[in-house]
Amino acid sequence: MTSLPVDISNYVGLSAVIFFIGVAGVLTRRNPLIVLMSIELMFNAANLALIAFSRFWQNNAGHIFAFLVITVAAAEAAIGLAIVVVAFRRAKNVDVDEVAGLHG
Amino acid sequence: MPPYVGSGWAAVHHTHNLDPLLLAVWLLPLAGALALWAFGPQLRRGAGVLGTAVVFVCFALTLFDVRGAFGSPASGVGIGNAVPLVSWLPGFDFGLLWDPLALLWTLVITGVGGLIHLYSIGYMAGDKAQARFFAYLNFFVFAMLTLVLSDNFVGLLVGWGLVGLASYFLIGFWFYKPSAVAAARKAFVINVAGDVGLMFAIFVMFAATGSTTYADVFSHAGTLPQGVILTICIALFIACAAKSAQLPLHTWLPDAMEGPTPVSALIHAATMVTAGVYLIARCAPLWDASPDARALVGTIGALTALTGALLAIAQWDIKRILAYSTMSQIGYMIMGVGVGAYQAGILHFYAHAFFKALLFLGAGLVIHELGDEQDVRKMGGLRTRTPIAFIAMAIGTLAIIGFPGFSGFYSKDAVIYGVLERGYPALYAIAVITAGITGYYMFRMIFVTFYGRYRGDVPDAELGLAGRPPASAHGHHGAPRWLMEAPVIVLMVPSVIAGYVSIGGAGSLWMRYFKADFASQPLPAPPPPFSELASTLLVFAIVAAGVAVAYLRYGTAAAKEGAVARLRTEAARIPQPFVRAFYFDDLIDAVAVRPARALGNAFSRFVDPHVIDAGVTDVARIAGRLGRELRGIQTGLVRAYAFVVVGGAVVFIAYFALLRLPR
Repeated sequence: MTSLPVDISNYVGLSAVIFFIGVAGVLTRRNPLIVLMSIELMFNAANLALIAFSRFWQNNAGHIFAFLVITVAAAEAAIGLAIVVVAFRRAKNVDVDEVAGLHG
Repeated sequence: MPPYVGSGWAAVHHTHNLDPLLLAVWLLPLAGALALWAFGPQLRRGAGVLGTAVVFVCFALTLFDVRGAFGSPASGVGIGNAVPLVSWLPGFDFGLLWDPLALLWTLVITGVGGLIHLYSIGYMAGDKAQARFFAYLNFFVFAMLTLVLSDNFVGLLVGWGLVGLASYFLIGFWFYKPSAVAAARKAFVINVAGDVGLMFAIFVMFAATGSTTYADVFSHAGTLPQGVILTICIALFIACAAKSAQLPLHTWLPDAMEGPTPVSALIHAATMVTAGVYLIARCAPLWDASPDARALVGTIGALTALTGALLAIAQWDIKRILAYSTMSQIGYMIMGVGVGAYQAGILHFYAHAFFKALLFLGAGLVIHELGDEQDVRKMGGLRTRTPIAFIAMAIGTLAIIGFPGFSGFYSKDAVIYGVLERGYPALYAIAVITAGITGYYMFRMIFVTFYGRYRGDVPDAELGLAGRPPASAHGHHGAPRWLMEAPVIVLMVPSVIAGYVSIGGAGSLWMRYFKADFASQPLPAPPPPFSELASTLLVFAIVAAGVAVAYLRYGTAAAKEGAVARLRTEAARIPQPFVRAFYFDDLIDAVAVRPARALGNAFSRFVDPHVIDAGVTDVARIAGRLGRELRGIQTGLVRAYAFVVVGGAVVFIAYFALLRLPR
């Protein structure tokens, strides 16, 4: 039995949906952990699109780029969580709108 | 036929092999200065030894290279070697010129300079900044050698400026004395005025001849228009007047005595202040081509000699007496070379370098002995206390007044008669009168300093000295006395015998030495009304009269008895023009200083606040305003920033999707 041919547009559409779920999360949620998770969603949406296009164009550059994105995401998560911990220790609070010490 | 065909300048031998001895002579003092600047404090006592050794090595190397100055035997005739070193622009080479004139100056700079370095080891032994002192001294020697060894006017200008800088450093060596700083600044500013004159001369000669090397410029001397040559000569003479303390730019020299005494001996008596004499002698072809320039320079030299001698009468500071005397003697030299009696003028430089250095070093011994007391009214009776200083200054005095058998007798009489021979009877009269005044003021100094009773313990008020600032001792200890006395004793010898080279008239060693440098010019038609011997007797009689007046006023038993009261009333009775040094300082103040200060005030009141400051502060104000207006954008809210990022991305994508992509 042959595999079901799945059109590229399905992958891209799924990727776009995940990405905008992430954008909405970043813009609307005030819990920094949720914001970080939303950012991870955006990363993975981008990864999905990269892999899909890589397959479509028969070009392995997209695979490699996806690995880079995963690495960056890991680093981002580590730093982001560290910032959250520090901010929580200082302010006893994890609301991103309260951490506004850099206002002009 | 231009007068310079056949003279030395046509025969300068251009050689392309470097003369390593000459290069070493030129650069060793620079190396010494750099080493002393870098490692001086670590060398401690060794700093003076190193600085002295460098200069003596240069002197020895110069002696080894004497033959080179007369051209190499293999190349046939030639008065010297021009050694090209570097080319800074196509056609502009810097090279060294090694000829009899340069040789003579180099010998004096390194020889007398070495002795003065040696003396300084003792004189400066108590000073904490010895290394700096010797670095400056070595730097001065390098600068002076650059001046006399250059084969072109640009190199000369470089040396000319650097000796002024070295002089500034050394006058202001004791920079914690406000008077020393003021004197250094005054000397530097006046010297720079001279540098500007020299620079202007170079511009004119480059425009007229297209070159700045001596050989090229002088080969045009016979063909240039009179006006151009006179312009060049006057501009050059402005440089000479500033450097060699000629009227009216002489006012810095007496003030320069604020520097340590060895500096006064080396820079402000023996070498640097004679740079003007060197320049005129070097540019002899230009002066020979311009009778007007000759008359001008001769006249100013004579007036300077007279002015210096008159002002020396009214001085009480032993170094200022010698400073005015230096000014007067350089006036003689400038008058000599100015009117064309080059050999005589240079001989006077040569003799003066020895006896004036001797006088200054002798004065230094006295000052050192008395703990930096420089006022002769506080001295007296020092003949037995500082016998070496007394003998030194006595020999120097006999030499400077032209006592027969001493060096000054040969050189000064040669200058005085040379002026008459070349047809300037008025200048001759001034020169003879000045010789008499020289006899007076020098013996006045000798009598007041070394005879009578020691007045150092007489209260200042009784001598009319009340209210003067206390002398600041520069620290005396450690060095053995012979270290300072040895150079003084050595200098006594040439102070006596230096003039003997000129015995024998036209066939003398001295005239043969310069035979290739100065074209023999015909003397003007009417010969002088009396012979050189008669002139010598006349000068001697007038000098003797001057000495006799000094003796009657200061040397007799009665004068020595009542010296304290005499000196007090005399100091109060000195006429105002003498006290104010003939108002030259006031003249320069009115002509140059006050207009410059007014200009500066105008700039500080209007241009600075309203043009320059206004521009700068406006930039700062605009930047501040922008910052205040725009800071509201920074909300500090992370979600707001995220919204801006997303919004930006949307705009970006929309732009490319809708407008830029091909359909």
